[in-house]
Amino acid sequence: MSLDNNTLTKQDPALPGSAIAPRPSRLRWPQSFDPLAIVGILMLVALWYVLAPIVPHSALPPLHSVVQTMFEKFWFHRTFAFYGLVDTGFFSALIYTIENVLMAVVLGGFIGIVAGLVTARSSLARAAIDPIALTLGTVPILIASPFLLLWLGGDRSSAVAMVGFYVAVMLYTYAQRAADNLDPVYESAARTYGASRGRILRNILIPGTLPEILGGIRIALAGAWGLEAIAELLASQRGLGKLIESISASSDIKTLLAALLLLGLTAALFDMIVALIFSQLTRWRHTARLAVSPR
Amino acid sequence: MNTSPQIALDAQAVSRGYHRRDGAIINALSDVTLTINSGEFVCIVGPSGCGKSTLLQICAGLNMPTSGTLLANGKPVTGPGPDRGVVFQKDSVFPWMSVIDNVEYGLACRGVPAAERRKIALHYLAQVGLADVAQAWPRELSGGMLKRVAIAAVFANGSDILLLDEPFGALDYVTRHKIHDVLLSLWDESERAKRTVVFVTHDVDEALTLADRILVMRGGLVIDDLRVDSTRPRDEESLSEHEMVVLKRRMLDHLGIGHGMGRAAE
Repeated sequence: MSLDNNTLTKQDPALPGSAIAPRPSRLRWPQSFDPLAIVGILMLVALWYVLAPIVPHSALPPLHSVVQTMFEKFWFHRTFAFYGLVDTGFFSALIYTIENVLMAVVLGGFIGIVAGLVTARSSLARAAIDPIALTLGTVPILIASPFLLLWLGGDRSSAVAMVGFYVAVMLYTYAQRAADNLDPVYESAARTYGASRGRILRNILIPGTLPEILGGIRIALAGAWGLEAIAELLASQRGLGKLIESISASSDIKTLLAALLLLGLTAALFDMIVALIFSQLTRWRHTARLAVSPR
Repeated sequence: MNTSPQIALDAQAVSRGYHRRDGAIINALSDVTLTINSGEFVCIVGPSGCGKSTLLQICAGLNMPTSGTLLANGKPVTGPGPDRGVVFQKDSVFPWMSVIDNVEYGLACRGVPAAERRKIALHYLAQVGLADVAQAWPRELSGGMLKRVAIAAVFANGSDILLLDEPFGALDYVTRHKIHDVLLSLWDESERAKRTVVFVTHDVDEALTLADRILVMRGGLVIDDLRVDSTRPRDEESLSEHEMVVLKRRMLDHLGIGHGMGRAAE
């Protein structure tokens, strides 16, 4: 369903002639933003309210009470303090989780993208790195986590390493494929203009592969939230994952759902922000063809 | 200026072999020796696989000969360089840069100040009739317009030698004829010495419309070297002049589709 909607919204009804005028620098909604997504959310909310009277409150508390719990315990909750948690409110746990996810995406993304681009242009580097990346990529991340815990301990670094590893392997593949797919004519053309190697990297390889890589970053980011929560749940002293683990011990379903809702909303918010930024970075792809014939 | 023509491109026994998977070596070019004078408009005609694109790529420095030497303006070619501009068969306009940035790109690579290169780029965009889409993204332009951008870009870059590899093959008849005029008028620009143009095509009529000199290739060899003296601009009418018809028949004979026709003309 969302695919169909995407193609619908892609037909941006740009005014003819608008491309000729100096380009307005206003922000545009990302192409993937889909007003119909709101309908999906509304349906989920409706389903919740249909089920709420049927299912016992202990299993499915009403949505508004979950939202209320989220706000009540946002800054401080004495139960969290009672459990001896470092994070005594959703907020500090959320910040910890966000920090870890961003660190992992930036670090893992940088390593993965650089390695992917280099291996796409150097057969030697490819022969060396491809087997490692592809073998490690097949190791289920949860299986790898005990090793990371043993090596790096239970603090931030093991969670960042686990998520960063996942992001790096994913973006390695994306960046490499993007560079493979880039038509060699652009690099040839740049060379005939006298472009240096650095310029070819900056002006050709990076912008040419950017759309595919940015798509990969969005997907990696979306997956990173869940992995970070799992990493925290397994062996962390902080973060939303740790909160979820502690709450589930007391079978406080309302607080548990509030934590999940918060995590989901955060992931959605970050995806929207990133999509907005990325669509600005690749504006050249989103313009409609002008129906102007050369004179 | 010298009275004797200067040599822009000088190929001595240039060969290019490729290893086939079964180990055999296929010669895309065998012992090609030719000189092209400065300011000449040369078309290379031949069937696909005759080596004409390989020869052009070697001139561009994007492909290296397996033996033989190639001099461009007296200097051995060791790689691509801004002295030899290339218009490719495929669209090579960078879609992530605006039209004007594309035209400026070569100048930017050589450190020409922003204001100066903008002026040069606008001049050439105006010459190809695209001044009003200078700020547009390439994606907003048609195929014919993109070719004009590519032409403006190589002219703006100031290369003495222009290498065009079947640049207009994908364009429709009308667009192609219009763009021929654009190309010839740029080449004719009198403010400086004429640039050397090497234009690869499989279209015999296109070669007759544009060239001073036509090289016919087949099987990796240059098999004929024809001079076209008809005055420009040349239209459909000029192509039916006796001299042109003779040249065309001779070329078609070489290409293996003029059976008997060449005899009848003589």
